[in-house]
Amino acid sequence: MAPRIRRSGGPSGRRSGSGRRALTAYLFLAPFLALFLIFVVTPAVWGVWISLHSWNPLLPIHRWLGLQNYIDLFTPGSVTSGDFWQSMGATAIFTVASVPFLVVVPLLIAVLLNQKIRGGSIFRGIFFAPYVLGVAVIGVAWRYLLDPQNGVLNNLLGLIGLPNGTPWTVDVPWAWISLVGITVWWVSGFNMVILLAGLKGINAELYEAASIDGAGAIRKFWSVTLPGLRPVMAFVTTTTILSSANMFGQSYLLTKGAPGTSTRTAIMYIANEGLSQNQMGAASAMSYVLFAILATISIINFRLQGRSE
Amino acid sequence: MKKGFARRTLAAAVAIGVGVSLAACSGSGGSSGGGGAVQSGDYKGPKVTVTFWNGWTGGSQQTILAGLVKQFNASHKNIAVNPVGMQWADISAKMPLAIKAGKGPDLTVAHGDDIATYAAQGLLLKADAAAKDLGYSAADFPSGLYEHGAYQGSQYGIPWSVTPLGLYANKDVLKKAGLSTTIPATEAEYTKALDTLKSKGVQGEWVDGYVFTGTFEFESLLWQYGGDLFNKDVSKATFNSEAGQKALQWMVDHVSKGYSPAKVAQDGDINALIAGKTAFNWNGIWQTSNTALLKDEWTAAPVPQIGTQKAVWSSSTDWAFVNNKGQDKNKTQAAAAFVKWMNEHSKVWAGGGELPADNSVRNDASLVKSYPNLKPFLEEMDYAHFETTSPGIPNAEATITVALNNALLGKQSVKAALDQQAAKADQLLQQNKQQYGG
Repeated sequence: MAPRIRRSGGPSGRRSGSGRRALTAYLFLAPFLALFLIFVVTPAVWGVWISLHSWNPLLPIHRWLGLQNYIDLFTPGSVTSGDFWQSMGATAIFTVASVPFLVVVPLLIAVLLNQKIRGGSIFRGIFFAPYVLGVAVIGVAWRYLLDPQNGVLNNLLGLIGLPNGTPWTVDVPWAWISLVGITVWWVSGFNMVILLAGLKGINAELYEAASIDGAGAIRKFWSVTLPGLRPVMAFVTTTTILSSANMFGQSYLLTKGAPGTSTRTAIMYIANEGLSQNQMGAASAMSYVLFAILATISIINFRLQGRSE
Repeated sequence: MKKGFARRTLAAAVAIGVGVSLAACSGSGGSSGGGGAVQSGDYKGPKVTVTFWNGWTGGSQQTILAGLVKQFNASHKNIAVNPVGMQWADISAKMPLAIKAGKGPDLTVAHGDDIATYAAQGLLLKADAAAKDLGYSAADFPSGLYEHGAYQGSQYGIPWSVTPLGLYANKDVLKKAGLSTTIPATEAEYTKALDTLKSKGVQGEWVDGYVFTGTFEFESLLWQYGGDLFNKDVSKATFNSEAGQKALQWMVDHVSKGYSPAKVAQDGDINALIAGKTAFNWNGIWQTSNTALLKDEWTAAPVPQIGTQKAVWSSSTDWAFVNNKGQDKNKTQAAAAFVKWMNEHSKVWAGGGELPADNSVRNDASLVKSYPNLKPFLEEMDYAHFETTSPGIPNAEATITVALNNALLGKQSVKAALDQQAAKADQLLQQNKQQYGG
């Protein structure tokens, strides 16, 4: 009743009432908005400006180049195009190879842990534990474990009579297998926790109804669990694609981008170009191209997953 | 990876933010490039603290440095030197922007191939007077070293230490293969030793396709065959010359002839030597202070002569005075006094696995008596080649390792790998010239 009464109080009262509420809302949003403007919008706009120059932050003069940094990226044989697109290719390989595992493995673990099993919370802790570690820790640790000649893994394989010369960190495709495997081990726990929360949110009555209709465990998974998880899945796949496309630390520490530059990801190349070689202009241009591609993929992804809702 | 994403975003934001602040001050601070200079003479001013960044984080180096600094501080009442140790890579990453923001150290140690870049970026003060005060000229150092600390006619780096490559050998492995523990010095002797080891089932010298130390080995061989990394004015890469191809072919042949496994990981070579899996390793003088190696029966020798002349790769470290925004002249002057005192007391530095750069200290008979392990490295100083100095050169140098890696893993032929990366290096050299001027 209250809103109706207020609404009947005349046009001026309505405006001031909703105005005050809007003001309160904006005040609550202001701290985040300020941070967002300072740390996201300003650098983003400034980055466009930088990308139009030959921008070495340590030199006093930044030469105006117009769109040359972007044109270079699309001109075969220029100083940046070959390396950039190779690194984009490496990023694509890693993303395509890792995302399915990073979604399916946590989903299966989450479904298992959602059963009422003994020690469920202990397992949850165990699966989540690697995520707590920093990339430097996991990178260095796995480099020792996977060293082709002196590593633990190849030694163990040798002991049980399997081939013990696999170049896990040195040559492709093994390096990709290592990078994907480590990443799955490392971050699956995070996706698992989110999916588990999603599973808890599915109405138990739906499962009961499905049981009464004679559905088995598999049928219930496809007909109740997956549809119930759709919004959560859309979130998990999108964030996983984005984070896989931004992979940096694992390659940087485990393979150094080798063999040659095969496992050098886009972020690794951009970081090197911008922060080590001080070519901020070219690096910013690359970031925007990467951003445009990732934004497109994210939009398509949300459209696809949200379509049948 | 979400954390990675957040960190990356933060890093980018910080980097760009710094870019913003730099752009803001570039109007006023822009002319600082090479403007200031260190004065000669001792420091007699008020008490100051001199902050000094260095990459000497290894156990013995840290201890020796701490001892020297303590001694210096005790004998200089108006100077307190505060050494800050961090990884070399962290210094390269942090120092330039810190200096531009006025938060850098007063004194730093830099590798030879960084001096020109820093000088061109206006990060350093001219040190001609300080060098003169020390009585230094090119003749006081191994040939070619002093010039490497100069940029556009001014001296910016004062040489402190040199760190050549040498041939390390595990004597237990040699003895087990029935070889004498006299280390091979020529190609014939070296190949014979590798063949004998091979017949006993030992892959005698593992080669890796990474900077440490495959790249250093390749560069040594390139010079031995009479080649060079870049042309004289550093405008063109020449490591794909015939000499370069011979050098790289020799390393690639190690794999095909069975002297080395095919896909050695970074540091796999030295780890294999320590573990007694291989007999030889081309590695830097810094390994003489590697405590893991000391458990083995090891020895070192000058690198064997494989090509037509003797040559070996060496790096160097130099003192450099920092041109912070608003740098305190007193602190710089105090730093100069510290550098002078350190170079006069540099003999003990040999204990940290580096050779003092100053000829008179290094060649003093007492040095080799105190540090007999360093004898082979001392012998190499007559024919050591130092890193190329040219602003921005690290990006072009990095292409060499890519070529090496591709060829050693059999991804490309030796010639194709070198040619492709030399073309890449040419583009980068041209970019450097455009940015930093000829």
